[in-house]
Amino acid sequence: MKASMTKLLSLAVALLATFQLSAKDYDVQDFGAVADGIALNTNTIQYAIDFIHENGGGRLVFHAGSYVTGSIYLKSNVTIHLERGATLLGSTNPLDYTYEKICAWHSLIFAIKQENIGITGQGVINGRGFITANNRLNLIHRGYNPGNDLITLDRPREWNRPQNIYFRECKNITIKDITLRDPASWNQTYDQCQNLYVDNIYVDSKSYWNNDGIDIVDCKDVVIKNSFFDAADDVLCLKSHSFEHMCENVLIDNCVGRSSANGLKFGTVSRGGFKNITVTNMTIYDTYRSAITFAAVDGAHIENILVDGVRSINTGNVIYLRIGNRWSRGKEPVMKDITIKNVYAEVPFHKADAGYNYEGPIEDLPRNISPASIVGLPEYKIENVTLENVEIVYPGAGNPYYAKVGLTPEELDGIPEQPDRYPEFSQFKELPAWGMYIRHANGIHFKNVTFKALASDYRPAIVLDDVNGGTFEGMQYIEPNSEGKNQLFDYKSQNIEIK
Amino acid sequence: MNKRNLAALLLGLLCLTQVSAKDYNASLFGIKSNGTTLNTTAIQKAIDYISEKGGGTLQFYVGRYLTGTLFLKPNVTINLNEGAVLVGSTNPYDYNLETPYCALIYAKEVDNIAITGKGVIDGQGRALAYNMMDQIHQGILDDDLKYDRPSRRRPRGIYLRECDNVKIQGILIKNTCDWVQTYDQCSNIVLDGITVDSKAYWNNDGLDIVDCKDMKVLNSFIDATDDAICLKSHDANSRCENIEIRNCVARSSASGIKFGTVSAGGYKNIRIINNKVYDTYRSAITIATPDGGQVEDILVDSLYAYNTGNAIYLRIGKRWMGEGRSVGTLKNVTIQNMYCEIPATKPDAGYDYEGPIEDLPRNISPASIVGLEGHDIENVTLRNIELVYPGGGNPNYAYCGLKPADLDAIPEQADRYPEFSQFKELPAWGLYVRHAKNLTLENITFKALARDYRPAMVLQQVDGALLEDITYIEPGGGKKQLHTYKTTGLVQKK
Amino acid sequence: MNKLKFIALALASVCTLSLSAQVTYKASYFGVKSDGSTLNTRSIQKAIDHISEQGGGTLEFYVGRYLTGTLNLKSNVTIQLHEGAVLVGVTFPYDYTAAGDTKAIICAEGQENIAVIGKGVIQGQGTLLLGNVQTQINKGNLKESVAQASPALISLKNCSNVKIEGINLQNPCGNVMVYSDCKDVTLSNLAVTSRQTANSQGVIFSGCTGFSMTDCYFDTTGDALASAGTSTNVNISGCKTPNGKQLKAKK
Repeated sequence: MKASMTKLLSLAVALLATFQLSAKDYDVQDFGAVADGIALNTNTIQYAIDFIHENGGGRLVFHAGSYVTGSIYLKSNVTIHLERGATLLGSTNPLDYTYEKICAWHSLIFAIKQENIGITGQGVINGRGFITANNRLNLIHRGYNPGNDLITLDRPREWNRPQNIYFRECKNITIKDITLRDPASWNQTYDQCQNLYVDNIYVDSKSYWNNDGIDIVDCKDVVIKNSFFDAADDVLCLKSHSFEHMCENVLIDNCVGRSSANGLKFGTVSRGGFKNITVTNMTIYDTYRSAITFAAVDGAHIENILVDGVRSINTGNVIYLRIGNRWSRGKEPVMKDITIKNVYAEVPFHKADAGYNYEGPIEDLPRNISPASIVGLPEYKIENVTLENVEIVYPGAGNPYYAKVGLTPEELDGIPEQPDRYPEFSQFKELPAWGMYIRHANGIHFKNVTFKALASDYRPAIVLDDVNGGTFEGMQYIEPNSEGKNQLFDYKSQNIEIK
Repeated sequence: MNKRNLAALLLGLLCLTQVSAKDYNASLFGIKSNGTTLNTTAIQKAIDYISEKGGGTLQFYVGRYLTGTLFLKPNVTINLNEGAVLVGSTNPYDYNLETPYCALIYAKEVDNIAITGKGVIDGQGRALAYNMMDQIHQGILDDDLKYDRPSRRRPRGIYLRECDNVKIQGILIKNTCDWVQTYDQCSNIVLDGITVDSKAYWNNDGLDIVDCKDMKVLNSFIDATDDAICLKSHDANSRCENIEIRNCVARSSASGIKFGTVSAGGYKNIRIINNKVYDTYRSAITIATPDGGQVEDILVDSLYAYNTGNAIYLRIGKRWMGEGRSVGTLKNVTIQNMYCEIPATKPDAGYDYEGPIEDLPRNISPASIVGLEGHDIENVTLRNIELVYPGGGNPNYAYCGLKPADLDAIPEQADRYPEFSQFKELPAWGLYVRHAKNLTLENITFKALARDYRPAMVLQQVDGALLEDITYIEPGGGKKQLHTYKTTGLVQKK
Repeated sequence: MNKLKFIALALASVCTLSLSAQVTYKASYFGVKSDGSTLNTRSIQKAIDHISEQGGGTLEFYVGRYLTGTLNLKSNVTIQLHEGAVLVGVTFPYDYTAAGDTKAIICAEGQENIAVIGKGVIQGQGTLLLGNVQTQINKGNLKESVAQASPALISLKNCSNVKIEGINLQNPCGNVMVYSDCKDVTLSNLAVTSRQTANSQGVIFSGCTGFSMTDCYFDTTGDALASAGTSTNVNISGCKTPNGKQLKAKK
């Protein structure tokens, strides 16, 4: 683990060095681009990119002003530089965007198989996605539906809505200082890319459904740091679309996120896997679902993960680790060697993201506040999970007359396995613990872990079910009126050691 | 008599405003100024409340007030203070679509109402029209999309019908979805110092005065995609009467000042004094009666028109006559102290909704006075007028000569939409008159900046014309500038 | 039997063709805007593609100003510009592509049964566009000659059964119309004005088989009619220039 971290840091330094070479600057207005917020500049910007690409590379500089554009393709050795006050404004006409077959997606800025590219500067990319998405919907309703969109959930499907950035199979990418806002779909996706360096970006991505913060798909050697994300959907999202690829060597440092879904998420699509991932100094707040969700539901191998330093404030759930069996096509999922330490978290009683336009969906009730959960499958155990220096504050107040799962074998065995369900901390509805529920796991190590309930709860703090090997050291349970209550209940478990 | 009437009216208005003295702030009714809260019901409640309490003023201070259709009620003034914007919703269903002439601000048979202040009414008409277009294409709103645009039920800005004592003062009205403001069969109306900036969509007439009595339009600036200042008569049993339009400036991608097109009843005693027209696609002044209306006692005095496609167009037509109705009349029209420059290029080029380029070819058209066979335009006096034309009419491009066959071949087009360009090529470059009686031209200068193949003036089938002090200026000179055909009683002085 | 079948099939296909040619689409259906400021290139192009894919038909433009860059006309598509409809060429040089060697607002290469008809206008905004073209060349961004970079209004290459009828063609940046290696081209009742840029030629055709032009008016800064290369079966009649000169095909 230590070795991989040093590797990552040296990688970051290497990346910094790489991106000094694009020396020459070109002013996009010199190509005739008009920054009036009305004129559509697609072809002019594209021409400028191609020109720089063919003439040895450099930066395409946008001075202050609003530049409307449809889909453009970034090319090797070209950096788009948005100065403070410059906005790349997405066209609101959905037909101004290209459906890129390799990505099977629409985007404002594409890069396909390019090297040494970047988007930098203190300017803004504003997709105006709410308008574009609704305009697409209008075209579909009148019968002009080129993508044969079935408008599931009464919205155009994600791939028929443009996001801000989609880079695929690119190398040496710098995304620095920019603001990304209001995409119509996910926000920025880096798919099978290598050497990605994201630093000091600001993301406001909550204008329409499925607005993620950042999606890292099957990438190698990635640094994301010093950035802020506010998203309607998952914020820091690592995915694995390909059985042949995985996310590997990723460092996420000093980021702050807000989400109406999850903060840090591996998945949902999780085929290849996630390996050697380090996340440090992360703050998650006002977030509907989990601060941390790792899901291996499509055959992913998740291993060697370190999360060190988390503040999770007003977040619906804190930790959710899950092995499922959804689109695995026979590939056997693995989740092992996970360390989460130095965590302080507060879970609210009310809806953590109430008041945001695209609030997370209210699911079928009743359910008392859910615990953090580590849930494998009987045939695929989650292995070797360490929690160290963790404090989670819960509202407590679980009321058995509202919803109840007790500790009898019938009740515990009655909790469904749901191998093929979409993985969310709330998927099992009521769970029998208020602090932590662990099922189908081998090797659980808790050290200096505190669970605090602000009101008394009918459930114990921890329930273990089918856990083989566990050490619990320096545990603290704080719950009003709980004298004599057994806060750790184990069932069908062995080799459990409490110090 | 008229003057006295107006004075009484003004006094009456003064008294009224003092009666409805009480002020109510919009926030009192929960009206929000954030530009995103839809305030329709809250503003309506405020209007109803104030009216029920005996009247008063609803005060809007700086902010953006989003709303759908509002129905004005008796004795209520809406005062938009500087910086206050009444913003029209872009959702078509926020308007009274099922009512004929739906509008953002609507009143029928309501007396003593006013909209005042230095604030703004913004119809957001283009976005609204686009949203209607979506609803139509999706089969939800019923419309035949004539000319590929929502052709019915596009909300107007202001529509007042059968209202008495109306004051519109100081405000800016912009970007409505259809006509900007319509006063239909209203009486005792004063529009003073308003600004219209409405180029958002098709048919943005600046001001429509329909069958109104006792009205003044003063000191206003009107820039509109369709006719800027437009008098209409929808009702055969009604007409526009005692109307004064003074000290206004107009810009239009149609006509600057227009009578018609719909002109069922007619126009009487209309005074148009000291106005300016510029960058206007069609005529500075059009007076048309194609639908049986009777037009009489019209004075146009001191009209200055720059960069305007045509100067004067007077026309009798025979379009929507209905049963038992006779062709309209057009008589006793005086146009005096006028200056007009007509450009060689399109005068409204560069505006989003430019006036439509009509089928070509056609050389620059003359001012025209065209009645119908058996329905002469009578007693028209043009006095102290200078018209400056680009000239350059090229017979190889379009041609209408002076031979009887050429002149007789000019179509009557009794039922065509009346526009100065409707006949395509005409045989004069300065003034073409046909089917007129007792025409007086006094101190008129026709100036062409380039040589034209046509004479300046053609009088065709005119019965009685006095021409006095006419000056023709055209490069090259040595040309007979007046051609008459089937014209009797021509007297030329000096 | 087979023959009968074949004839029936042929008849059926003829019917289908003539039927599908009747299908009309309003431009607004595809979100095309007539406000003079929305650049409609992609929407109009998608409309043309869609109509062609559906077997053909007419794309109708009603009164209004439709800003666009290059449109690639496709087989069996007619563009109808009703009176008052103006296709306005955008003033950005990079919004234009070529058919053959000539950039234009309306391009087509290797298409058949195409037409532009009506009483409307195609307007090139020649002065403004030329200014931008020259700026781009002077800055070294555009490595083409002014002539290469100046879009015409219509440029067709290797197309057959072409009809351009009734419309007004105004002020291109380059020449007005260029037809190369086309078959059965019919131009009629066109009013052509090109006075904004120097040496703008009216119609250039080369290598065409069957080229007919009747009752057109050309007011251009360059030659009204220039034919290059060999064309056969050429008929030009009733076409004139401002000085009244009748145009004749050069032998």
